[in-house]
Amino acid sequence: MSDKKERIILDVAYQPQVRTAKDTKRLMLDVIIALIPAIIVGVLQFGLYPLVLLLTGVCSAVFWEWGYRRLFKKEASIGDLSAALTGLLMGLTMPPSAPWWLPVIGTFFGIVVVKQLYGGIGKNFLNPALAGRAFLFSSYATIMATWSVPNALSGTIDGTTMATPLSGMYGEGLPAYFTAKSMFMGYLPGCIGEISAFALLLGGAYLIWRNVISWRIPVSFIGTVALLTLVFGKSGYSNGQWMLYNLFSGSLMLGAIFMATDYATSPVTLNGQLVYGVGCGLLTVLIRYFGGFPEGTTYAILIMNLCTWAIDKAFHRHQFGVSKADIAFKKAEKLAAKEAAKYE
Amino acid sequence: MTHTFKGGVHPNYMKAPQVPISVVTPPPQVVIPMIQHIGAPCKPLVAKGDYVKMGQKIGENPAPVSAPVHASVSGTVVAVEPRPHPLGDMIMSVVIENDYQDTPCDDLAPLTEEELKSPEAILNRMREAGVVGMGGAMFPTAFKVRSGIGKVDKLVINGAECEPYLNGDHLTMLNYPEQLLKGIELVRIASNVDKAYYGIEINKQDAIDLLNSHHPEQYGIEIVPEAVKYPQGGEKMQIKAVTGREVKPGGLPAGVGCNVVSTRTCYAIYQACYEGKPVIERIVTVGGSALDGPHNALTRVGTPLGYLAEQCGGFVKDPRKIVLGGPMMGICATSFDAPTIKGTAGVLFFTEKEDRMVENPQCIRCGKCITVCPMNLEPVFMYMYYSKGDYENLEKYHVMDCFECGSCAFNCPARMPLTHAFKTAKLMFQAKAAKEKAAADAKAAKEAQK
Repeated sequence: MSDKKERIILDVAYQPQVRTAKDTKRLMLDVIIALIPAIIVGVLQFGLYPLVLLLTGVCSAVFWEWGYRRLFKKEASIGDLSAALTGLLMGLTMPPSAPWWLPVIGTFFGIVVVKQLYGGIGKNFLNPALAGRAFLFSSYATIMATWSVPNALSGTIDGTTMATPLSGMYGEGLPAYFTAKSMFMGYLPGCIGEISAFALLLGGAYLIWRNVISWRIPVSFIGTVALLTLVFGKSGYSNGQWMLYNLFSGSLMLGAIFMATDYATSPVTLNGQLVYGVGCGLLTVLIRYFGGFPEGTTYAILIMNLCTWAIDKAFHRHQFGVSKADIAFKKAEKLAAKEAAKYE
Repeated sequence: MTHTFKGGVHPNYMKAPQVPISVVTPPPQVVIPMIQHIGAPCKPLVAKGDYVKMGQKIGENPAPVSAPVHASVSGTVVAVEPRPHPLGDMIMSVVIENDYQDTPCDDLAPLTEEELKSPEAILNRMREAGVVGMGGAMFPTAFKVRSGIGKVDKLVINGAECEPYLNGDHLTMLNYPEQLLKGIELVRIASNVDKAYYGIEINKQDAIDLLNSHHPEQYGIEIVPEAVKYPQGGEKMQIKAVTGREVKPGGLPAGVGCNVVSTRTCYAIYQACYEGKPVIERIVTVGGSALDGPHNALTRVGTPLGYLAEQCGGFVKDPRKIVLGGPMMGICATSFDAPTIKGTAGVLFFTEKEDRMVENPQCIRCGKCITVCPMNLEPVFMYMYYSKGDYENLEKYHVMDCFECGSCAFNCPARMPLTHAFKTAKLMFQAKAAKEKAAADAKAAKEAQK
């Protein structure tokens, strides 16, 4: 026993000596799990081809990340699943009929330009998947705005493509085959992963239950959109209807639950998260009402990403043990000292 | 309804109060360090060759912030020399060869009925018996209680035992309820307050029920059930949960009229006053994945850690770390020869399994450190400024408010060494402040000479 003790080199570290089992990889895996309902709805509505887009998205994202880190002799980082998640989100924001190579270009922009050039995980200031999508949106505008008919509407619609509910709502009017309920379930054209509010809310509930994200950003984001569309309705729709149509169309749910909550690009302070969510909601509604595109979620989130740092700086928590009265007293004291200095 | 604070984490508790208290055979040689408290180190009162009795005072310092130390066995002093200390470093210690007679020393007689009602007698006895904060902080209790008299209107007793693994407080409540309540009453009398609030986490419901059945109200004690959350047992969190008050930054609990005393300390005070027994043993939870356990071992102060492990069945795997106290705030011992001391609530022999460190951690900015910080700090930014060497901003983000509970680093999915960084930064600030004070003092002395 005693000679054995001699061999043992003791590790001396500061506290804590134990850590939670939930690491970065597990968090990313939880987000991927939360996306499964949305993937299932996508496959049910658009067939098996969307799986090819998801696969090329994931594989290319992992490949770019691996290749960049290897080329520049940096530590491998694909094991944390963050690149795989970016690729999956990129695939889910593709139109169902997009060519297979489109996500490959999007992930190159997202992973290499937006994420790795700024130092990798946690250092990027734009959401890589959304930035990649914005890049594709301006480079391949036609492909990115061609919407296949979902299986649920294939009997109603002639042809293979159709317009999204949003372009109807802000154009000549919403066709009668869209109801709030059918939109909630995902019986509408759109990107692979964005169509079913139901599936996305299910994923969001899982993420909040698993403590992966907090309720603050999704609730303040969706709540702001709901409030604004309820107050500023449109003629021809009841205010409640108009609000529900707005909530269940476009990429609002996908954006609010999975994109705006991206760790690196959203505020970490608690009040800051609420402000950020309200800002996202406000910009989304502004772009939908007055902007050039029918959908505003992508750009709303990207713009708020850029404000994250400033928001975090502006919304500190109160210091433990310092009450509002203490702060007021200190301010008054400072002011009095200033006044006194004037008379000297 | 349970009381609690904002933030905090839920570690894997690994508690084993069902394991009965086992008595560890005292070692052939005990090592009693002269520092087992915060404050002035004791000076040895014995020399090599002296015979000492169990409970005899062997080290003392007359400074107000200090606590004497006592022999935990009877026998012959074989050395008075620096020995490895559990908190690192070599510290002057008295080594006693155990004669296994446990010949008691009757220097401290039990207090009389009258003395048990006198704050002064109780305070003197606390000091004489070497009672310190046995939750781990090891601040001399007599000094703490004395300096709170007149300022403190709410006495808070800490029974949260929120650290994983540790069972000592829980077992004390279950095995000695009557004695514990009497001990708390003594602290209450010494503090000159009418009521003591005993905060206990509800994972010890059996203990709460048992204590309530002993009519705590007749001792002037109210039991406050608390939510199960780490760091509920932190001094500031305990005050917040029980009274709703927040201790001022850099201030003492007495500043908001509170004092916090731990369960085990109250029991030690009972033993000192009713039985005339100084602090020479305590329940130490011995656990961790390196040995077959856990054990709730009644251990004499001065038992070497390696001997303790052998007594608890020996190692089944090579340990990588020896943690003293709980795993959240406990620090690592540097030697198997270091002894247990008064503040050692647990000795955990950990392998690689527990700490889950990674080599090159990358912050993912998830902000989970912010949601769990009980002090409302923002560790993610503090760490950023720390690694940049921007100490001005680090201070602006109130790094000095951090009491190193480890919640942020525990909860960090990226495994950033957050608490480590803040502890380092705090030590640096303290060193800087001490240097500035020394310079100012020197300048003042020079002026005075002129």
